[in-house]
Amino acid sequence: MWRFIGTRVAMGALTIWVTTMLVTLLIHAVPGDPVQIMYAQSQGTTPEQIEQVRRSLGLDRSIPVQYLMYLERLFQGDLGNTIRGGQPVLEVIMQRLPNTLVLAVASMFIAIVIGVPIGFLAAYREGTIVDIGLMVLAIAGISMPHFWLGLMLLFFFALELGWLPVSGNGPMNLILPALTLGLSNAAIFARLTRSSMIDVMNQDFVQTAFAKGLPKAIVLRRHVLRAGLLPVVTMMGLQFAFMMGGAIVVENIFSWNGVGRMAVEAIFQRDYPIIQGFILTFSVVVVVVAIAVDALYAVLDPRIRRA
Amino acid sequence: MGILSDVPTRSAPHGFWRRLLRSPNGVVGLTIVLGLVFCAMFAEVLAPHNPSKMGTGGRFLPPGGDFFLGTDEFGRDMLSRILHGSRITLLVGAVAVGISLTTGMLVGMIAAFWRGWVEAVLMRSTDVLFSFTETLIALSFVAVLGPSLQNAVIAVGVAGIPFYARTCYSAALVETSKPYFEASIAAGAGPARLVFVHLLPNVLPTMIVVATLGVSTAILAAAGLSFLGLGAQPPTSEWGYMLAGSRDYINRAPWLMTIPGLAIAITVLGFNLLGDGLRTSLDPVERR
Repeated sequence: MWRFIGTRVAMGALTIWVTTMLVTLLIHAVPGDPVQIMYAQSQGTTPEQIEQVRRSLGLDRSIPVQYLMYLERLFQGDLGNTIRGGQPVLEVIMQRLPNTLVLAVASMFIAIVIGVPIGFLAAYREGTIVDIGLMVLAIAGISMPHFWLGLMLLFFFALELGWLPVSGNGPMNLILPALTLGLSNAAIFARLTRSSMIDVMNQDFVQTAFAKGLPKAIVLRRHVLRAGLLPVVTMMGLQFAFMMGGAIVVENIFSWNGVGRMAVEAIFQRDYPIIQGFILTFSVVVVVVAIAVDALYAVLDPRIRRA
Repeated sequence: MGILSDVPTRSAPHGFWRRLLRSPNGVVGLTIVLGLVFCAMFAEVLAPHNPSKMGTGGRFLPPGGDFFLGTDEFGRDMLSRILHGSRITLLVGAVAVGISLTTGMLVGMIAAFWRGWVEAVLMRSTDVLFSFTETLIALSFVAVLGPSLQNAVIAVGVAGIPFYARTCYSAALVETSKPYFEASIAAGAGPARLVFVHLLPNVLPTMIVVATLGVSTAILAAAGLSFLGLGAQPPTSEWGYMLAGSRDYINRAPWLMTIPGLAIAITVLGFNLLGDGLRTSLDPVERR
């Protein structure tokens, strides 16, 4: 088990290391002079000021030196300052990251609570009209653009019915964005749960459990559900990454003050230090969650736990 | 028979079309996709008005009457905009998937064929990029290249490469261990023959299914970028961009929101259903 987790941690560390290099290179991939572009929108910047920014970003040095400078500052918890406002990037991100994480976790909860029982029911009634109906619903759910779903929820629940606020950052404001992301991912969980449960139900040990006369409820709960949920657990890591990606769009619809909305604003304003910080933060979060989910999987699956 | 029964057939598997046309998903999907292709090809003839001409009708005319799907904030005909938008959407899907598919297949087949350090380097980098997530890759690309439809398509295409490479790699790996493949190595076939005559046709069915489902993912991703303002720019009749514009008039003209959204959803549904149908008719194991 430790070997399994160790491999995942090493892979995660590699990913983050590659990210730091890509993030340093990013600014050089920008067509034209990044500093000129960054300040294109603010009038009256003198050449001296631009030169100073170039120096402070280390752009006057060679790329390997820049990378080492970046790493050195990174280890001191310094992600640089924003172009607009000059605040520390780390501070700006840390103010907003909890909002994004809350949104992603709430959506994950909704997706699982809705998707897993639907998938289980469809598998239990495999081949019947219930199964077919639920799976048609699931494929429709997967095809629904989440930004459209978000707009429609906003229209009905916030504008037409007036039950929920349109935007803001209170607990009531969480409902619509979390529902948007959760519902569009519930379909994925439903499909996965269904195929996983059907696989398990056809296994020998389930047949044996039935053959020795165990009541159906016990076979389902003790044998099918336990084994069938394992692939669903593995899927959670990947799904969390999807949620973080989806949050970028959903935050913009509902003006939820998370890192996704910040990133899109930064792209428009060409605020490269924020973009760099966002990419790094995003990949650290995704990697950490993926490792946690893999560790959970290792604990739950006796085949790995005892290896 | 032994080795002979294992020899792959170049053409579609026996009864492929019959099976596809018998699966409800395949039929509905195929109909939607063919309908879209028709709209895209004949948009100029089908569209009653010029999609970007302002003041074709009054502003915010509701659907019905002279304007079947209503008009937008500039009095442009929505039906004509949606029809012309289908061109963009299909082109976006095709080009993005084309980028992911060709690059991904090349990486996957090379890794599975040459093994050793080539495999290690290619597949480890694929793993790293994969855990990077498609959204982040796409967003980084747009951040660097700047917002435009063309850049959004490139971004979505590049973001898909790791997934296609992985899928093609595992499909190719299965083929290289089959007796027919070993037999043709023994018979002295060169790398080009092995890769293009044996490997390529045999990973193709899997990759066609993946690519069909991938078109829906790509269309959604590109429309999402346009929705954020990071893709298509005005006055394009791209559906995601139209949807973004509808936010300001959500109370006054809700059809500006429902129609482009429905168009995206139906398109994506079409490719998802078709991909599903293709999978069950191409893959004998899944056929039940």
